[in-house]
Amino acid sequence: MSEESGVALESATEDDIDDQPMLKPEEPSLPPGEWVQKNLFSSVFNSVLTILTIVVMAFAVRGLLNYIFSEERVWSAPATNARLILTFAYPESQYARVWVTVGLLAVLAGTSIGLWAQWAGVSAKKLCFWSMNLGSGILLAIVLTQPGVHRDAAGEVLRDADSAVLRKSFATAMSDRLVWWIVGLAFIGAGLLAWNWLGEMRRRTIRVPSSALIFGSLGLIILSLWIVNYGHYAFSDGEFIAISGRTVASTTKQPWTVMWLILVGSFFLGRRISQSQRAVSVKGLMNLAWLLSPFIIYWVILRDPSIDYSHVWTTDLPIFLAFAIGGGAILWLLSYPGIGEAGRLAGVGLVVVAIFQFAAAFTGWYPMLQKARISFVVLALVGLAASNFSGERSQRVRFVGVWVVLMALLHYFATVMNSPATVDVVSENFTGGLTVTLFVTALTLMISFPLGVVLALGRTSSLPIFRIMSTAYIESIRGVPLITILFFFSNILPLFLPDGMDIAEFAAIILGYSLFSAAYLAENVRGGLQAIRRGQYEAADALGLTSPQRTSFIVLPQALRISIPPLVGQVIGTFKETSLIAIIGGFDLLRIGNQVIPAQTQFLGIKRENLLIVAAMYWLITFAISKYSMRLERRLGVGER
Amino acid sequence: MSFSDAHSPISDDLASRRDMIVCDNVNKWYGDFQALKDVSATIKEQEVVVVLGPSGSGKSTWIRCINRLEVHQKGMIAVDGVELSNDLRNIEKIRSEVGMVFQQFNLFPHLTVIDNITLAPRWVRKLPKSDADARARALLDRVGIPEQADKYPGQLSGGQQQRVAIARALAMEPNVMLFDEPTSALDPEMIKEVLDVMKGLAESGMTMMVVTHEMGFAREVADRIIFMEEGEIVEVGTPEHFFTDPTEDRTKLFLSQIL
Repeated sequence: MSEESGVALESATEDDIDDQPMLKPEEPSLPPGEWVQKNLFSSVFNSVLTILTIVVMAFAVRGLLNYIFSEERVWSAPATNARLILTFAYPESQYARVWVTVGLLAVLAGTSIGLWAQWAGVSAKKLCFWSMNLGSGILLAIVLTQPGVHRDAAGEVLRDADSAVLRKSFATAMSDRLVWWIVGLAFIGAGLLAWNWLGEMRRRTIRVPSSALIFGSLGLIILSLWIVNYGHYAFSDGEFIAISGRTVASTTKQPWTVMWLILVGSFFLGRRISQSQRAVSVKGLMNLAWLLSPFIIYWVILRDPSIDYSHVWTTDLPIFLAFAIGGGAILWLLSYPGIGEAGRLAGVGLVVVAIFQFAAAFTGWYPMLQKARISFVVLALVGLAASNFSGERSQRVRFVGVWVVLMALLHYFATVMNSPATVDVVSENFTGGLTVTLFVTALTLMISFPLGVVLALGRTSSLPIFRIMSTAYIESIRGVPLITILFFFSNILPLFLPDGMDIAEFAAIILGYSLFSAAYLAENVRGGLQAIRRGQYEAADALGLTSPQRTSFIVLPQALRISIPPLVGQVIGTFKETSLIAIIGGFDLLRIGNQVIPAQTQFLGIKRENLLIVAAMYWLITFAISKYSMRLERRLGVGER
Repeated sequence: MSFSDAHSPISDDLASRRDMIVCDNVNKWYGDFQALKDVSATIKEQEVVVVLGPSGSGKSTWIRCINRLEVHQKGMIAVDGVELSNDLRNIEKIRSEVGMVFQQFNLFPHLTVIDNITLAPRWVRKLPKSDADARARALLDRVGIPEQADKYPGQLSGGQQQRVAIARALAMEPNVMLFDEPTSALDPEMIKEVLDVMKGLAESGMTMMVVTHEMGFAREVADRIIFMEEGEIVEVGTPEHFFTDPTEDRTKLFLSQIL
């Protein structure tokens, strides 16, 4: 492997690019005529193909443009229902909670970008190209879109005797679009001007930071809310109210501006921290914050639970203290360096107790709070791993400290989830639309990812019992359609639960998705595991690493890196599969576009516009995930070895 | 078996030392193929033993049996007085006392050089990070590449990678070092830098068992040479005896082919 390959690893920074002592001379670009000849018309067959493709593309683009700009489209349907699409029927009086959520996400995103991003920036040359391409695209759209229709004074479309639509002439249409001609030409002109003014050297050396581009364009979009008063009526309290002047733009411009300021502010904060000594610990903290954010947002911010404090003092707090102190003491003992075989036995003993608790729950031997049972399971799992954390006093103190924090979080969220919501909800699920789509995706991934890794390890394990169980699980889940599993979890599972055990539909759906997704994730991870060379196992063994250490430090990190492409495919798949919620009765993004909006009296039967918008939203998020994964692959150097 | 007494000839000085590795009639089969046939040898403390032989003679299999990367089916192997058995703790203990260097280096590509070296001391020996780092940097200094600590293995040349692998094994402060053809995957100009490190290690009094094809190294550094063919030990002797006056016909044939 050559020395240059290191550039793909973390050491590549913006400095590396700036410091290049000499630029490779630019490939002499062919004159346009020769380029066309060489690339498009090099032979008779290629010429025919080129012309055919251009014709087909032109028709397709024209069709799409005519569809979007057709006089029959009612774009006010999705525009008016923007809130419905994003958050479903979240009560307007409590909408500040949604903005707090967006603000929290802006802080997390901004800080993370500032901390982690190592963007090389975009060269001026590329920017010139983009500008010219955008301008040409606008011009092309102007020419291809069919002319508009004649309307009478009331705005009705005029028709001829055969009731065919009367269209304006081509020349009139083009002059109607004068503004867009100017915009398109301005983009092309700006690109060309900058291209010539900069010259070859500066075109390639000047780089605009990606952060400036991204935050700048976001800022421009938000600025447009202040300038253009997007003229759609607001949807308020479940009713479509035509209050003129109360538009989407006018009601959201202030909060969006604040969000933008928060985002940019936390970006600079993150940048600052990344250069300081604390960068490593803050990065760890950020990871934790991201992991906790779905729970905090969904159960604390959006639901605003009304916590029964008398119950907290008499029950919740004592249970927490018992586990934090009692469990902490057990773990302190188990992490004692000289404990040896007794430690392993004690760990196994804890597992037996934990399993027994659940058996007791199903047979109803004795009552016990669910969270106590779950805490026992967590204690048993941590207890099994305790010997890995044995060592000096300070190390053991940190280990027990982490345990106490873990218990605090677990019991806090258990209490919060068990408390009733104070936010008025219309249906059982108080969120819907994009919110529920994102929540189900995030929670499903958080649950199914560790489960999938465990299943993959089980399937490749040398112990037959684990191998058989994992294989049986994976194969039986993969043999059943996802929708069947979802029906089972949303309708049938609650009937099987023992008395006194209850599961919310939302939780049941997430459980169904997670169990399904885990089986597929497991197979992806297994592919990565099999790609690890035998020598890696031997080297780890020869150093005396135990088999859990070998798995967690050597095998898994490499296997997960190799599996990034299929894992991202699975993430995207899970995100899109959340649209099945519509079928089992939830109000997700798709259902709102497909059923809820077309049922409104103002927009009766208006479906296509909503579906197009919903599809565009799915695509945008999927594309972002995909782009991010490409960046991640490059940074981790997949395929470099 | 033509040469059964593999324990001699041994100088008086060597004979008085502690037994580091004892193999007694070790046998191993792959399916029906017998890879090792009654291999017996004792390696003393601070001794450097070079194992020679044509490819397929069982040298690598034998050395890999000593830290149980391969399992022998019959016979006895003891390292520093501890007999190899199926007990997992026993194996982990022996492995942490025995350093091993592989033909293909087997560095961990996702970890930096310093992390490659400190991983096992921190998690097996429970060394605090600062101590492990200090030890790793000292070892990198010793193998001559202190400036590469924060690079990834993929950024290093083959010779540098193998030297990191040696440092990684030494970081566990082993009593014995096993080398399984450490220079066979290297370009010729890189072989010397690895052999120099190994010579330095031998001079410092490390007990070493080396499978190699480097005759120069064997002649110069080895206290004893063991010659294997078809899974059995054919001849054992000092380098002088082995290269100038071998007793066995098979040894003579081997030497005539390679020298």
